[in-house]
Amino acid sequence: MQIEKFYYDNRTVKWFGYAVMFWSIIGMLAGLWAAISMYYPAMNLGIPATTFGRMRPVHTNAVIFAFVGNGIFMGVYYSLQRLCKARMFSDTLSKIHFWGWQLIIVAGAITLWAGKTTGKEYAELEWPLDIAIAVIWIVFGINMFGTIIKRRESHLYVAIWFYIATWVTVAMLHIVNSIELPVSMWKSYPVYAGVQDALVQWWYGHNAVAFFLTTPYLGLMYYFLPKAADRPIYSYRLSIIHFWALIFIYIWAGPHHLLYTALPDWAQSLGVVFSVMLIAPSWGGMLNGLFTLRGAWDKVKEEPVLKFLVVAITCYGMATFEGPMLSLKNVNAISHFTDWTIAHVHIGALGWNGFLTFGVLYWLVPRMWNTSLYSKKLAGTHFWIGTLGIVLYAVPLYWAGFTQSMMWKSFTPEGQLRFQFLETVTHIIPMYVTRSIGGALYLTGALLMVYNLFKTIRKGSFVANEAAEAAPLPEKIAAHGRTYWHRWIERRPMQMLVFSLIVVAIGGMIELIPTFLVRSNIPTITSVKPYTPLELHGRDIYIREGCYLCHSQMVRPFRDEVARYGEYSKAGEFVYDHPFQWGSKRTGPDLARVGGKYPDSWHYNHMMDPSSMSPGSIMPSYIWLFDHELDTSRTESMIHAMRKLGVPYPDGYAIEQANKDLAAQEKSIRSSLQADKVRTGSNKEIVALIAYLQRLGKDLKASETTSPQGNHKTLAGDGVNSSQLGPGQQKSAPKEQTAMKDADGRDVMGN
Amino acid sequence: MIITKLLEHMKFIHYIEKISGVSIYGLSSLLIFGSFFLVMLIWAIRADKGMMEELRQLPLDKIKGSGKIPIILIGLLLMSSGAFAAGPPAPSSIDNTFVILSLVIIVILAMAIGLLANVLLGASQIPVSKKEAPAGTLGDQPADDKEKVPGENGMPEKTYAGGMAVTASPRSPWSRSYLFLAATTINGVSDTAFYFISGVIILEVLILLTLLYNVRLVLSIHKKAKAAAEGETATAPAKPPVSWWARANKFKPIAEEADLDLGHDYDGIRELDNRLPPWWLYGFYGTILFACVYLWRYHVSHTAPLSREEYAISVQQADIAKAEYLKEAASLVDETTVKQLTATDELAAGEKIFETTCFACHGKSGEGGVGPNLTDDYWLHGGSIQDVFKTIKYGWPDKGMKSWKDDFSPLQIAQIASYVKSLQGTHPANAKAPQGTLYK
Repeated sequence: MQIEKFYYDNRTVKWFGYAVMFWSIIGMLAGLWAAISMYYPAMNLGIPATTFGRMRPVHTNAVIFAFVGNGIFMGVYYSLQRLCKARMFSDTLSKIHFWGWQLIIVAGAITLWAGKTTGKEYAELEWPLDIAIAVIWIVFGINMFGTIIKRRESHLYVAIWFYIATWVTVAMLHIVNSIELPVSMWKSYPVYAGVQDALVQWWYGHNAVAFFLTTPYLGLMYYFLPKAADRPIYSYRLSIIHFWALIFIYIWAGPHHLLYTALPDWAQSLGVVFSVMLIAPSWGGMLNGLFTLRGAWDKVKEEPVLKFLVVAITCYGMATFEGPMLSLKNVNAISHFTDWTIAHVHIGALGWNGFLTFGVLYWLVPRMWNTSLYSKKLAGTHFWIGTLGIVLYAVPLYWAGFTQSMMWKSFTPEGQLRFQFLETVTHIIPMYVTRSIGGALYLTGALLMVYNLFKTIRKGSFVANEAAEAAPLPEKIAAHGRTYWHRWIERRPMQMLVFSLIVVAIGGMIELIPTFLVRSNIPTITSVKPYTPLELHGRDIYIREGCYLCHSQMVRPFRDEVARYGEYSKAGEFVYDHPFQWGSKRTGPDLARVGGKYPDSWHYNHMMDPSSMSPGSIMPSYIWLFDHELDTSRTESMIHAMRKLGVPYPDGYAIEQANKDLAAQEKSIRSSLQADKVRTGSNKEIVALIAYLQRLGKDLKASETTSPQGNHKTLAGDGVNSSQLGPGQQKSAPKEQTAMKDADGRDVMGN
Repeated sequence: MIITKLLEHMKFIHYIEKISGVSIYGLSSLLIFGSFFLVMLIWAIRADKGMMEELRQLPLDKIKGSGKIPIILIGLLLMSSGAFAAGPPAPSSIDNTFVILSLVIIVILAMAIGLLANVLLGASQIPVSKKEAPAGTLGDQPADDKEKVPGENGMPEKTYAGGMAVTASPRSPWSRSYLFLAATTINGVSDTAFYFISGVIILEVLILLTLLYNVRLVLSIHKKAKAAAEGETATAPAKPPVSWWARANKFKPIAEEADLDLGHDYDGIRELDNRLPPWWLYGFYGTILFACVYLWRYHVSHTAPLSREEYAISVQQADIAKAEYLKEAASLVDETTVKQLTATDELAAGEKIFETTCFACHGKSGEGGVGPNLTDDYWLHGGSIQDVFKTIKYGWPDKGMKSWKDDFSPLQIAQIASYVKSLQGTHPANAKAPQGTLYK
């Protein structure tokens, strides 16, 4: 057979490698910023872009899509070519892929800082970027499959199975979760609502972890570990079993993010049991990796690359044991909404994803620049600092999460809650401080790495196109040696693609379809009505500022939560919530029943300066809400979109009545504020936010009381004056009283 | 069923749950192990000196597993601590089939232990009687027990953080509400009994395994001694003892790796045909079994409570606990019985809460702000101590005053109300204008 000569493309790998290094620093800096602002609220700087609510999505998107994303591409572009013995299918597509992805990231960062967000975790980027992601992902897919098809290696190595599964599943998840109706250039509403949105979101969210953070990195591990250690893979059998089991089982585990919520019980149980069954397939990956190092453990002591890989794989094992444990309902009852979840995430993120990326970089860069690493010692230092960073990150948060949860659940013998919410926050501040030290250490290690690699690059000479040669694929591929039945599909990438898609689609279909079609899963509550236009504006502001990142809106059926917040949340309450806002963390208290609990003026003062109403609070102040005008020109398109999504606003409401109702409600809130000596200009965003907050939980209370007196807004343009239940009554003889002052000491008149 | 009938006749078993506040199961475990050690003691005292000599000659340093014993003992101690918890009385469970079955298992295992111990003692005596055999039997045991197989340099310790839910001891003040999150009976027997029974069974199984291991070890020593005594030189090189970890994974030695190579070559990466680690595989099956049982119990047989039921149970149990507590507590004050408190420590307690909670709306000195002025004689909702108590307790939600009855105990509310009343006539700065009706 004629041996063909060809070249591997290293240039694209190089560019992705630069991107990884760059975005790692940016992403970690954003994370550090967010972490510090949790105990030093001044870090919020009083400007919208740097508040926690906007910084946190920048951090998560940067580390997931920019850092890990570019890491995936760097690793795939390098390994796929060599495993296929073929150059990437198209250099042009490689360029489009690279630049397209970076553009998406930059646009993403800017839009997130600007508050353009969908309000769904890890899917915050708005619809234009969602489309861009899909396009670039398809470009990636064409490039990848084109390379596989023109391969000169007859069978697909296990790493490639993982790449294929990754590609097809991420496509499925992204497309389904991003189905949204645009309202404006940078705003859209998901077609799903409430419970259904929650299920789709966490079907997506969990499997973003599975198929973006795990499977591609398992593929990378399967390539780079045996290469770096020069050892064979321990068990081919194990790789087959754990691959198929992993991609099948992972999809079902989404509901473990929604235990003890209003999600139907059967879906929760499926999430629990599949998460437990997931331990073995995940550990299969870990074992195959660690056992591959049999006979090379002495090398691990010498080589920083192997040290990083070993700790990465071990952290993967830890995280994939802890995850299923956290999916047990009794453990989840303690851990949900606390920092325990954050700790768990970062073991996986810092340990598995971070360290594997670092290990690959330390191995790849010297190779591609045809030189040796500038300083092994520095790499070793990075390793130890990074490991220490991980420990200092996770351990305080375990303590914080557990302690806070126990404090929340504490009752006095008389049956009173023992601790106010704020006490539980201030109690764990020292843990937040320690955590940020851990993160800073980790970032320092990464900086050392960038320096080290930079120096390595400087002293080396880049090999843009690496020569290689191999025989092309024969017409008929002869089987040799002991054959497995699995070899059949290893020769057929398209069937592999289709089978993988079928396997991953099953879990989603079984969980999603009944939740959408079977009505009894979401029992109707007749008192639940759509939001008023003003409240809708307020809700959009709530999402824009990222309030859902610190405040949940989901009271669980626990005695302590019912005592602290009110009646536990029912599925039917959320039918008009596009998107749902159940939240995943309680840095601040749950807001599901905050409507009517405090007077409008309390909210006014609280948003202006949280510590005035809650001394010791770490919540940032939102003073721009008092200056910004509400954009009522958007009302029509908002209502219109909601109607399209099935929210029963009356015909013609959007055009004729909506803004009238908005103005009336706005006026009534302003007058109630005035009665409490608070004056604000007309049409400010703060009023919309207050309207929204005062609506939360009201509908359910209305169904419990039979009071006819204005429970909440009636719509349908019948001229009924919209007055909120709650403080709005004229107080007798309001006298002079110092009004709330803004940061400059001026009376807040608003203007 | 004869057993059931027999036990039915032993009616007193239905009534004894505790003796002097200590659970019957704890006492019976104490009894069992007490008698065990008593019997051991008697046997040791009465054993004849000759047997003692032989035992002294046993190659005990070769017997592994001695480290297991302290661990087993500690485990036993920890498990039996549950037995001594004086929890709420559980329905008697002697006639429960699960219990009977378990007791039968325990007895059978105990007999197996006795048998095996006998075998071990017997087997260990054999090489001792060959003391006169040529040198090279007992003295020169192969020293390669501790030698490591090349390449088996020890696996990294698998550590994992997190873990199962912690059920805090019933004494912990924070555990009360959490105690009731899980069902309090398992299979119809109380938690205590269940854990005790399973603990004993697990312990017996562990002891059995240790004994089995040691029997095998002693027998292999015996075989070597026999071979040496008959003048045979060791034929094949002694296979170095394999670590438990290697056995758990069924590792093949690295030297034999080439046989396992599948002939795949991916850019230099090769693959071996090692088998799936057995503990991993059976663990996987175990999780699948867990899944089936879980779904069955929660959604088919409904023997496990779903979230709403769990909530209802916890509320019920909390109400019971609260009622019991309140019977004894002096804190039983409400808006009809509350009296003005005047003691300095009571007022100080009320002041502390006022300064951290009420000030936000009523001002630091009660001068008012968002809420009304509390220092004058005009009250919106009545100025008697009962009315003030009532206002704080229930709030006036539609006026903007939150209800505080879930945040503070009746005693605390009485303290706050008394403090508020004590602010009468203090004339603070920036006092809000009087609202409401006069009350003197």
